[in-house]
Amino acid sequence: MDSLYTLFIEPLSQPFFQKALLGGTLVAIVCGVIGCFVILRRMAFLGDALSHAMLAGVTGGYLLMQFFYGDAANAPAMLIGSLLAALITVGMIGFISRVSRVKEDTAIGIMYTGVFAAGGILASVFSHRIHVDLLHFVMGQVLAVNDTDLWVAGIVAAIVLSAVLIFYRQLQLTSFDPVMAASIGIPVLAIDYLLTTCTSLVVVSAVTMVGVILVVGLLVTPAASAYLLCDRLGRMLVVSALLGVTSVVGGLYLSLWTNIAGGASIVAFCTVQFLIVLVVAPRYGLIAGWLRRQQMVPQQLVEDVLSCVLRAGDKHPTLDEVQVKLEARPEAVAKAIRALFKQSLLEEEDGQLALTEVGKREAQRVLRAHRLWEAYLEHVGTPETEIHAKAHQLEHVHDATAVDYIDDKLGHPLRDPHGSEIPVDRDIVAPGKVVKVSQLREGHRATILSVGPEAANDLLKPGISVRLGPRQQNGNMWTVELADGRKIALPHAAADAVTVEVQEETVAEVGTRQ
Amino acid sequence: MINLRVDRSATPAIEVDHLTVSYGPTPALLDVSVSIAQGTLVGVIGPNGSGKSTLIKAILGFLKPDFGSVRIFGQPADEAKGRVAYVPQRGSVDWDFPITVKEVAMMGRYGHIPWWRDATREDHRIASEALDMVRMGDFRDRQIGQLSGGQQQRVFMARAMAQGADILLLDEPFAGVDAATERAILDVLDRTKATGRTLVVVHHDLATAAEYFDALILLKQRLYAYGPPEAVLEPELLSEVYEGKLRGFTDLVKRGRSA
Repeated sequence: MDSLYTLFIEPLSQPFFQKALLGGTLVAIVCGVIGCFVILRRMAFLGDALSHAMLAGVTGGYLLMQFFYGDAANAPAMLIGSLLAALITVGMIGFISRVSRVKEDTAIGIMYTGVFAAGGILASVFSHRIHVDLLHFVMGQVLAVNDTDLWVAGIVAAIVLSAVLIFYRQLQLTSFDPVMAASIGIPVLAIDYLLTTCTSLVVVSAVTMVGVILVVGLLVTPAASAYLLCDRLGRMLVVSALLGVTSVVGGLYLSLWTNIAGGASIVAFCTVQFLIVLVVAPRYGLIAGWLRRQQMVPQQLVEDVLSCVLRAGDKHPTLDEVQVKLEARPEAVAKAIRALFKQSLLEEEDGQLALTEVGKREAQRVLRAHRLWEAYLEHVGTPETEIHAKAHQLEHVHDATAVDYIDDKLGHPLRDPHGSEIPVDRDIVAPGKVVKVSQLREGHRATILSVGPEAANDLLKPGISVRLGPRQQNGNMWTVELADGRKIALPHAAADAVTVEVQEETVAEVGTRQ
Repeated sequence: MINLRVDRSATPAIEVDHLTVSYGPTPALLDVSVSIAQGTLVGVIGPNGSGKSTLIKAILGFLKPDFGSVRIFGQPADEAKGRVAYVPQRGSVDWDFPITVKEVAMMGRYGHIPWWRDATREDHRIASEALDMVRMGDFRDRQIGQLSGGQQQRVFMARAMAQGADILLLDEPFAGVDAATERAILDVLDRTKATGRTLVVVHHDLATAAEYFDALILLKQRLYAYGPPEAVLEPELLSEVYEGKLRGFTDLVKRGRSA
C-alpha cells in the first residue's frame, strides 16, 4: 500500500503536478470536443498546420514586445501573435485554394511550412535577442505549466465549450450536410470560421503543454477513438473529452515515474488507448468485425445445402449425410443449416432434413440456374468434363433476369446435357403472372393477353384460354391447344410474341416435377 | 417549345420566370420558364451538364441569376428559405457520420428552433411523425450507415417533411439502387405527393421517366420541353437534345405506361 501511495497520491501534493493535471485536463477536454468536428470534417491536416504556424506567431509576438516595450517574454503577446499567425495561415489557405487550381490540402502544405519557416528565420536572425528556449514550443513542457498558461487554458476552454454548446446544432448540421444547412438559412461560412477560430484557440492553448508536434495527436486521437465507439455526435464529444482526460492523467503519471517528456508520454498514452479501442470497440472494432465475418454464413453454402437436400428427393438426408456430401467445413454446414431453419426454408423431423414449400422453390431456382448454366456451357463448347464443376460455380448467379436471358438465348431448353429436366421458376410462372408462351411447359393453362405480329393467327385471340401441349421438333416448336382441341404449332419467335396470364390450377403439379 | 401547364388553378408551387444563370460566357441556363403546380411530381431530365443541378440550386435560392426570377409560392426564392427541402444524392452523404435516424429527422426542425433554445417536445413529435410516415419509426436509434439504400432515402425524405417544406427537391434518388429499392423509393414519393407536396426530382433514366412522373422538364441549357411525359418524350425532341446518342427510345412512352 505504501508504494501505491508514493506512486499515485504523493505526486498530487506537488504544486507542479497539480498545475500540470489541471492544465492538461482543461486542454484535453477542449481538444477532444473540437477534435470530433476536426475529424468529421477531415481537417486533421489543418490542425497540424495551425500548430506549426504558431512558431512564427510566437517569435513575432516576442520580438514585437521586446522592440517596442523592452519587455522580454511577454506571454499574452506571444499568445496573441500565435493566434494571429494561425488565422492568417487559415486565411491564406482559403485564398490560395479559391483563386488557383491548387487544391486545399496542397495549399495547407504550402502555407504552413512557409509560415513555419518564416518563424524559424525570424528566430535565427534575432537569435541574440530571444532569450527563451523555443524548443519547448516544439516539445511542450507540461510539467512546467505556469499560472498564465493555466489562465489561458481556462479562458480558451470557457470560450470554446460555450461556442460548441450554443452552436451545437449549427456545427452538427454544417458538418453533416452543408447544402441543407444553407437551404434553411444557416450561415455556413460563418460557422466554418467559428470552428476554425475555435481550433486555433485550442491549438494555441495546447501547444504550451504538449508542443507543436504532438498537439495534433491530442486533437485527433481521442476523437478518433470516440468515433469508433459512438453512433451519436453528442456522445462522441463526451467520450472524446473523457478519453483526452484519461490520457493526460495517465501520461502525466507515466512521465513522472519514468522521466519521459510529458507531451510525448501523454500522446503515447493516447495512441495506445486508440489502438486498444481499435481492437475491442464493440461495433467498429477489429474483433467485432472478425466475429461478424465468422458468424456470417456464405450464401453459396446455403444454396449448396438447399440443392443437396432437393437432389436427395424423398430420402430425406440427415445432417451428417449433408456434411459428408458437401466439401465444406462441417461446422460451417451446420451453421448454414441452422440459418435455413431460421428462415424456415428447411425443417427437421426425426433427424431427417426436408425442404419447406418456400425452401423447395428456392432450391429449384438454384437447380434451374445450375441446369441452364450446364446447357449454356455445352452450347458454348465447354469440354464435358468441366461442365459440372463450372456450372456448380455459376449456379450461384441465379438472378431471375440473368437466368431468363440464358433460358431465352438457348431456346428455353427442357433438359440439361445430362438429360435432367430443367425446372421452371415458379415465382415467374405463377398463377396471375404475365409471361410469354415460350416460358410455359406442357400442361400449363393460360389466358391470352396479346398476340404480336410474329404469331399472327386467326385462332389466337386475346381473351381465349389455351393449354400447352408437348414441345415438338427437338423442343424447338411449341404446341398450343385450344379449348376445342385444335392445335397450333409456334416456333420460338412466335411463342415469344404471345403474352399470356397464367391460370390458377395446373401450375403446381407441372412445376414440382423433377 | 412545348409548354403544357399541368394545372392552372391555385398559386404555382414553383414559378421560374425567364431564368438565365451563367458561370462565364456560356450560360448554364438560358431563358428557362417553368411553372410547377402544387402537388405534382415532376422529373427533370437532360444530358450531363445540361443545367439540372443549376436549376435545383436556383430553386433553393443559392444563386443570383443573371436575369429572371424564381418564385416559391409567389415569394422570391432567396426569401423562401426553409420552404424548399433538399434531399441529397446518396453518394454525397457521409454514411459513417455518428448520427442516428431520429437525429437526422430532427435536423428538419433546426430551421424552426432559434439558436438560444432547445428542441421542444413539439419538434420531437413532428420528427417522429415524419419518420412514422416513411415507415422508419422502428429504426429511430440506428446509425444511418446501418440501413439499406431505400431506408436511407426514406430517412432523408422524413427530414424534408419534418422541415415542414411544401416543396421537395431530390437529386437522383434512384442512382445506384436495385430494382426493389427503386420501387420502395417510388412508393415514398407517391405517398409524399398524396399529402399535397410538390416534388422535383432530378432523374437520368429515360426508360422509367414516363412511368414515374406527372410531368417532365427536358433541359439542356434551354428548356426544350415541359409537360406530360407523352409530350416530352418525343423521339425527335430527344434525339435533338441527346444528339442522337440514345438509340431505341421510340417506344419509351409506350413501354413506360405499360410497365
